[in-house]
Amino acid sequence: MKIKNLNIISSWLWLMALTLFAVFIGRVIDNHVAFIITVFFIVFLKGQQIVDVFMELGEAPKKWRWLLLSYVILLPVIISTIYLL
Amino acid sequence: MPNEVALNAGETPQLNLPAAENKRLPGDLAMWFFILAELSVFAIFFIGFAVAEQLNVEMFHNAKELLHPTAGLINTLALITSSFFVALSLKKIQLGLNKQTAIYLTIAQCFAIIYVVVKLAEYQFLFDADIDIETNTFFTLYFLITAFHLMHILLGMVILSYMTVQALKNNYQDGYSGFEAGASYWHMVDMLWIILFPLIYII
Repeated sequence: MKIKNLNIISSWLWLMALTLFAVFIGRVIDNHVAFIITVFFIVFLKGQQIVDVFMELGEAPKKWRWLLLSYVILLPVIISTIYLL
Repeated sequence: MPNEVALNAGETPQLNLPAAENKRLPGDLAMWFFILAELSVFAIFFIGFAVAEQLNVEMFHNAKELLHPTAGLINTLALITSSFFVALSLKKIQLGLNKQTAIYLTIAQCFAIIYVVVKLAEYQFLFDADIDIETNTFFTLYFLITAFHLMHILLGMVILSYMTVQALKNNYQDGYSGFEAGASYWHMVDMLWIILFPLIYII
């Protein structure tokens, strides 16, 4: 059980770091394409942590895990495409 | 016979199922369908926002300058931390530690209150600057999406409060799928903000 708590704590720290990194790159990256792709890749990484660790779908049936993961994969791809068109 | 069950008197049945079959969905199915429905509604909002931004690039750029990115950042960190404490509380209720569960849930709600206060302060700042839902397309979508999300936060806080009271009454002794369902709802609200934050404040 302590290992599971450690997973949650490391996931939380990772989410905090990714949030701060997203804000940081918003100020330093000038290239629009690289910026959009990086920001939405960060969204996917954060979403994956929430789905697998916080929602505990990493231990759920695969179809449910992938259903939720597809949301944080497809939506950022669709929105990125709209911004890059 | 891999699934053979050998029982002695008074023994709990232990099935030797393959790992994949032992996997179960946390919470109840109805809550997951509700979560999927909510995610779909927000997906339409997010895509609509992105399309509107591409059609009004300059207006959206100027309007975003009027927002406070720090407020968005504080709210993101507050929601992530709130979700973190809800995830920890689930581990505690699984161990039957009701008091610790209630403490973690209360801390989670304190972070949710930070979110609500910052969001309302942000609205007040905009109203003071004579900006409202009718100012332009950006602010119509901004108020619509963020207020809709705020309503989900408030509903989530009611659910977390209910879970706190139930934990203190020791009502999760026979099963905690209701607790898991409430926790999953809260994580969904967090996940939505994680997409909303860069869309409105960073890009």
